[in-house]
Amino acid sequence: MNLFFETFLAGLLQSGIYALVASGLALSVGVIHIVNFAHGEFLMVGAFLSWGLFTWLGMDPLLSAVVAAIAMFAGGALTYRTTIKHVLLAPELNQMLLTFGISIILQNLALLIFGGNTRLVNTPYQGEAVAVLGLSVGLTKLMAFGLALVLLIGLYLMLYRSGLGRSMRAVAQNRLGAQIIGLDVHRIYLIAFGIASALAGVAGVLVSVLLFASPTVGLVYTLKAFAIIVMAGLGNMTGVLWASLLLALSEAYVQTYVPNGGRLSEAVFFLLIFGTLVFRAYRGAK
Amino acid sequence: MIRKVLSVVLAVLAVVFPFLPLGDRAAFILQIANFTVITAVLSLSWDILARTGQLSLAHAAFYGIGAYSYTILMAHATPWWLAILLSGLIAGLLSLILGAVTLRLQGMYFAIATLAFAEVIKTVIQNLPDAFAGGSTGMLVPALFNGQANAQYYAAVVLLAVTLLVSIWVRNSKMHYAFTAIRQGEQVARVLGVSASRYKLTAFFISSVLAGLAGVLYASKTFFIIPGETFSLSVSVSSLTTAIFGGLYTTLGPVIGSVILTTLEELLRLRIPNGYLVVYGIMLVLTILYLPRGIMGLLERKKS
Repeated sequence: MNLFFETFLAGLLQSGIYALVASGLALSVGVIHIVNFAHGEFLMVGAFLSWGLFTWLGMDPLLSAVVAAIAMFAGGALTYRTTIKHVLLAPELNQMLLTFGISIILQNLALLIFGGNTRLVNTPYQGEAVAVLGLSVGLTKLMAFGLALVLLIGLYLMLYRSGLGRSMRAVAQNRLGAQIIGLDVHRIYLIAFGIASALAGVAGVLVSVLLFASPTVGLVYTLKAFAIIVMAGLGNMTGVLWASLLLALSEAYVQTYVPNGGRLSEAVFFLLIFGTLVFRAYRGAK
Repeated sequence: MIRKVLSVVLAVLAVVFPFLPLGDRAAFILQIANFTVITAVLSLSWDILARTGQLSLAHAAFYGIGAYSYTILMAHATPWWLAILLSGLIAGLLSLILGAVTLRLQGMYFAIATLAFAEVIKTVIQNLPDAFAGGSTGMLVPALFNGQANAQYYAAVVLLAVTLLVSIWVRNSKMHYAFTAIRQGEQVARVLGVSASRYKLTAFFISSVLAGLAGVLYASKTFFIIPGETFSLSVSVSSLTTAIFGGLYTTLGPVIGSVILTTLEELLRLRIPNGYLVVYGIMLVLTILYLPRGIMGLLERKKS
């Protein structure tokens, strides 16, 4: 029975990072209506930032999370200004191909600079564990979950309690209407895309500590984030939390209880994507 | 006019290529030409599906399935011609299964489902028994035509010719109007009585059979296949970038695209073994931003 709860806890902690990555993607799909295939690559850049700051300056990942957030906000805003802004009215195919192109550029730039190896941020407190309800939990995992939770609460407060959030929701619902009542749509899109990128960047810092930084680590997270927002339904922010939890728990239980589950858990997200999409496709026209 | 001249020049060049005086690097240049022809097949086959408005990121899966089916069939003493035909067919059948489930999806949902599908096919092949499919370390591929470079090259040229004919046939048939209608507005097309699912499934099948056959020829040319490379996203990337760069929804565009991009890719791969695909990303972004109709768009603008 202990194993069951340990698995549950592992899944719960993992869901924090998933929710962080997916809520950023949900923001760009929900507000700007741009499907950002480079979202995972923004995470990858954050992971390498954290690794670089730790290796060269000895900076603690908690501090580099702040740096990554600022840097990736700027990076996201720049990406929006130079590319995304120009395809807002283009066919969806072109929009997807554009962000796909950006993801290829980032991934291969990382390959050029860092090679194909994986790199881990080894903090001094890496091996320490804490007892939670009688179960032993890695300190870094707990910290990562805590940070993700704080950021998610911040994001929800921003979206539902601030003027900026209200503007974002207005633009998301009806772009033209928002423009008519005098909202600066491009500014709001720029900020939303910046925040989405910053969230991915911070998630990347967490990934560099818990997993590793590598040029190809982004693709997996793009896919998982897509799985989550597809399960949650477009624009449904609280749905993102439940879907993240579902994905993380399914993966954790497959890893623990299915023989050879470590490799098979890589395919769990696919079953969830497929199941949800098929369910949606056959339930109604939308 | 430009189009016709260009087509004739490319066709003549393709046929006489192995006999050109290429100097002491002839073998290497012929290999690049072979890859160019195979990429043209891949990219044109991707475009045929794209004409229905579907962005597939699973092209690598069908290409890889073709390569693996061929290798496994040859290992079980199948005659080579039968192995090739069956491999194309297996890729096609798989696309019908995937298509039946996913073709109701549109836009990003379809793109994501296909991307996930390709990743899972890779995982499945890696986890099959090693004696059957080589596992994650890959397997040796029996070379076609005893490894004769000229024969292999001409096999690719024949496949490209078939692909071109299929593309032109699709372009001139009733299908073209159905595909275009579906792309421009599936709901409207359905209301007008176009059976969108049936046409999309047809496009998916044609596209995947051709991609599978391209995979067979590529595998037999490289002697060795590994799941990580044969099913790699970069295969899908190069097929779609080539089509977009050359000119979407055209027959000639993907061919021109692959002549330019594959040559560039092979030369870059020599100098930069890691990350040479960065060029593909830049090309893709620049094309979308500044040349949405690709090289073909440029040619047509000059004409008018």
